[in-house]
Amino acid sequence: MAKQTFTTGQVLTAAQMTSLQQTAMLGGAASAKTASYTLVAADAGTAISMSNAGATTITVNTALFAAGDTVQITNLGAGVCTITAGTATVNTSASLALAQYESGTLDFTSTSSAIFIKGAGAVASAAKSYTLINTGGTSLSGSSTQISSLSGYNYLFVHIDSATVNAGANIRFRMNADTGSNYYAASGDGDTNAMTFVSTTGGSASTVTEHFINIDAANSTGVKPFWYSALPAGGATSSGAGYYGGTSVVSSFTAIASAGSFTGGTIKIYGAN
Amino acid sequence: MAKPIIRIHDIAKDEIIDREMTESEFKVYEADQKITLAKKAQDDAKQNAKTALLDRLGITAEEARLLLS
Repeated sequence: MAKQTFTTGQVLTAAQMTSLQQTAMLGGAASAKTASYTLVAADAGTAISMSNAGATTITVNTALFAAGDTVQITNLGAGVCTITAGTATVNTSASLALAQYESGTLDFTSTSSAIFIKGAGAVASAAKSYTLINTGGTSLSGSSTQISSLSGYNYLFVHIDSATVNAGANIRFRMNADTGSNYYAASGDGDTNAMTFVSTTGGSASTVTEHFINIDAANSTGVKPFWYSALPAGGATSSGAGYYGGTSVVSSFTAIASAGSFTGGTIKIYGAN
Repeated sequence: MAKPIIRIHDIAKDEIIDREMTESEFKVYEADQKITLAKKAQDDAKQNAKTALLDRLGITAEEARLLLS
């Protein structure tokens, strides 16, 4: 039952009493949403469920809730549901992203600030399950190929398959199109404004037959450790680890041909929470 | 002169756009090209110096590796 103010002498209906009882017993039906949703004042004290196969958001704005108000949010859909600070501030000690069957409670500490207390989500957190984000993969093309709107995943796994670039060229990657000196790795070309894979093989073109990158803490504001391995056709395997030091969550991943353009290959990005 | 083409796949919209670089993207691209060329020149110089040294010593790279192992 949504929070309301009762008046002296008001007669409560049976439906109101039943709803109050359900709320007191932490039960009652959740308000079902199937698309991204912005909370309204009437959501105070209620439960909201989200169900969508794609990524969704629950946006929290200021001047709608009072200190002490709570809103419970449960994600029933396969797509990640992310609690998003609109005009209000939302803090959490965990993640603002709810994977399928995870839930959490927004606990308002003022009209403009809330704490998101995420539940354990026992099943989802016990087994990290990667799903392909860019369905079917994306053909590499042009001098760079970027996959955008990636936010909401704590773990990203990138598979670049049979990427072909000019002879003598390498493949580089950037997160969030960040050209700052934010890339640190145990190997690579020593250039910190992107991560570079050794893929040169000579001949008329260079093909990296398999190319894997794991990115950790992608949905955090902290550093994002990564591990990579690349196998050039006819060349030696290049592998190592490092981290991306940017403070924004990873919302895009760009594969860049260091010279010329991609003439073949596919990039697939998998996400998990 | 046409600028290089880039591909952007927005998975939220499931939309793939191939377009020319913007001016700011092209500046980044040019800076990247300079870094790549400088790195290549550095690698080439290093490789040439190694080859010249091996020639002076009259040994192969394989034999040099054996000496240092």
